[in-house]
Amino acid sequence: MTTSRRNALKLGLLCLALLAGGGTESASAQARNKFVFANSSAFDSLDPHTVFDQGRAAVRFNLYDGLYRFVDNPPKLIPWLAESHTVSDDRKTYTFKLRPDARFHDGTPVTSADVAYSVERIIALRKGPASFYLDLIKPGTTQTPDPHTVIFNLATPSALFLTTVPDILVVNSTLVKSREKDGDWGAGWLARNEAGTGSYVLRRYEPAIGWTGQRFAEHFAGWAGQPIDEVEFRTVLETNTRVLGLMRGDFDGADGLPYDQILRLKQSPNVQILEQESMRIFLLALNNSKPLMNDVHFRRALAYSFDYDGFIKNIMKDSVTRNPGPNPVTIWGSPAGLKGYSFDLAKAREELAQVKQPLRKISINSLAGYSESEQAAVLFQGALRQIGVEADIDVTPWPVVASRFAKAETQADVTPVWRSTFYVDPNNWVGEGFGTRYHGTRTMSYYSNPEFDQLLDRALLTSDHEERRMLYEKMTQIVSDDAAGIFIYNTRWYGPYSTRVSGIRFSPASNGNDIRWASIKR
Amino acid sequence: MNAYSVVANRLVWFLPTLLGLLAVVFVLARIVPSDPAVLAAGENASAEQVQETRDRLGFDRPLLEQFVEYLREVARGDLGTSVYTQQPIIRDLAERLPATLELTFVGVLAAALIGVPLGVLSALHRNSWLDHMLRLASVLLIGVAPFWIAMQLQMLFSMQLGWLPLSGRIDDVAPEAVTSLITIDALLAGDLQLFLSALRHLVLPALTLALPGGAVVMRFTRTAVLDAVTSPSVAYQTAMGLPRRVIVWKYILRSALTSTVTQLGLVFGISITGAVVIEAVFEWPGLGTYAARSILHSDYNAVMGVTLCAGIVFAISNLLVDLLQMVIDPRGVK
Repeated sequence: MTTSRRNALKLGLLCLALLAGGGTESASAQARNKFVFANSSAFDSLDPHTVFDQGRAAVRFNLYDGLYRFVDNPPKLIPWLAESHTVSDDRKTYTFKLRPDARFHDGTPVTSADVAYSVERIIALRKGPASFYLDLIKPGTTQTPDPHTVIFNLATPSALFLTTVPDILVVNSTLVKSREKDGDWGAGWLARNEAGTGSYVLRRYEPAIGWTGQRFAEHFAGWAGQPIDEVEFRTVLETNTRVLGLMRGDFDGADGLPYDQILRLKQSPNVQILEQESMRIFLLALNNSKPLMNDVHFRRALAYSFDYDGFIKNIMKDSVTRNPGPNPVTIWGSPAGLKGYSFDLAKAREELAQVKQPLRKISINSLAGYSESEQAAVLFQGALRQIGVEADIDVTPWPVVASRFAKAETQADVTPVWRSTFYVDPNNWVGEGFGTRYHGTRTMSYYSNPEFDQLLDRALLTSDHEERRMLYEKMTQIVSDDAAGIFIYNTRWYGPYSTRVSGIRFSPASNGNDIRWASIKR
Repeated sequence: MNAYSVVANRLVWFLPTLLGLLAVVFVLARIVPSDPAVLAAGENASAEQVQETRDRLGFDRPLLEQFVEYLREVARGDLGTSVYTQQPIIRDLAERLPATLELTFVGVLAAALIGVPLGVLSALHRNSWLDHMLRLASVLLIGVAPFWIAMQLQMLFSMQLGWLPLSGRIDDVAPEAVTSLITIDALLAGDLQLFLSALRHLVLPALTLALPGGAVVMRFTRTAVLDAVTSPSVAYQTAMGLPRRVIVWKYILRSALTSTVTQLGLVFGISITGAVVIEAVFEWPGLGTYAARSILHSDYNAVMGVTLCAGIVFAISNLLVDLLQMVIDPRGVK
């Protein structure tokens, strides 16, 4: 070997040694009391008033605060930026008293003007949670009699308003106003910056990578124990990379993992799996408005044709709980002992015999990339064939499914899909799912029943909890009797976290993303 | 043809090609039966919110009208705003393109370093066991899905040996952006630790690109070298008693490099547009993941922006290949 070759080899080995011996992120993160979360959704925007999906809840729960906040499971509504509230006798005026000690990250005190600006901004941008307030709060009607009192004057009494109050995330109005451009309510600026009071202060944001936050020591709620000093929510789209990163210790938490990967992670000594019953229903959404689908006997025949136990046992590997009605079993509003339907092809044939309209091939639209949705469609198609009903399966991505849901004419006959928690009230599921007033928005069923609608109207007005419970139980029974949807299971939340992490406080509203309660071993 | 006329010729063809590409993507994006207004308005939007979004974004106007309006905006340098990120597309692209370029450049460089010597070796030992092994390996590497290669590299070098990071572009905060290529910026900042960190993160994704790319380059180099070996000029040089090493590296390789450089240009272009999977597996914050998400969310402006960007990069890489070929083989230059 010549000298030059030997030198080249030495240089190559030196390079390899340098490359292989460099410090790792996990090591440095551990030293800095840093929590790294591998998020399956990309943080394309940080605007708390336009981004409203569960996948990016971390922004809302860590950088911002609302007047009230949902914590724990079942979710409890606790005072947060507000200390208390009162409701007028006509239930149209909600008065909130703000905490006097709350400050934004730039040190500015939080005032009622910031709350009023925030709600006006939500309504003006007409995105995210805006649909909760558009008919309820007219622009300019929110009053601020003093810096710590804010009064919402609702257009009509609403039993749901308080459950949606946590979604009015308060932004620093002075700061956002100074960044407004061409009447955009600061949307361009707030998509990449923050102006909140949250438990963490935004330190760095790169849309293609994610964001990091530093603990806000002056947060009004104070800090207990050994809180996490730095959080990083990193976009990791690939499932396998999230899994390997958890096993290797690069990530301290992750979301969006299918159950087979959870089982894989259970074998890892570095990972713990937290489990909670959540509030996310998997159902076969039926389009009740189409010919044949508008026949209750046909829908019941369909409901008797799904192998619920087989699906849960063999496909879901018993990782979920059977949910017989439209509401999650973990929330009030379902009658005691609601049984729902079971897999019984004999009963299905009996119901089918009573159908007056001629049979036709039905359409099933499953969600591409979601194996449970696709497998449910195939299982259902097979069972339907046994009772003489043919079905075509169309597999499309969520954007296509969402577009089809927008109109009764375009929604498929059957769509295996999930219904998530937008607010914690049975109206989120049975009310919105089957009330005529929600057609074209969040219905998924196009079901119309005057008796149901009457009960719903009352339930949306009354503030008497017992009366509301009774009303929603009746609505749930009607939907079940009419087989307006085929309800399969309630999702169980599996939170994979590093064994270094403790104190994760799961709530179906935050999906475990509210990091202020957690600790991490240094 | 001189270098100026090559550039001029390319530019003349570039605009109609790009226009055609944009027209095809514009129509294809709108064939998908999804309503971008539903997605832009948000998961919980009312019908009125959706309609308002549709009106604002002009999705209900005739296709031709939308396309002409889009071209007018592009001519003014405005690629529109992403309905998903709510940012100007040009800004989104500028943030992501450097990561993809850095990965692709290193990947193609590695492909050349792997493919060219092995191609020469394979040709010079034609029909030997080494040749057979290399050809078999190249077929396997071309045939195997890149995500499988990526995962195997992750399992070996990150999980088993622990030598290299699993994913990401850098351990910590990136250096101040000068070129936005982190390795270069780290060197400019004089931060060796950061440079090594960036390099360590580059190894596995670049290798994933380089292995199939290198296999393609190897096969083309082998064919080109075999052609050159049997040429009269090589027979003459051999007869003249020139050392074999000089014949191989000075004459044969130079003659073979013309087609190899063409292949490298193609590999570069394909790697830019095909980086989606690799970027997703290695959590590489580039154009690929942005493109995939834009398509899934029917973010029309973003899809068009990515197409435009990829088209421009492809055209530039082809132009550079043409110019490089003139340097390697100046016989065609007047």
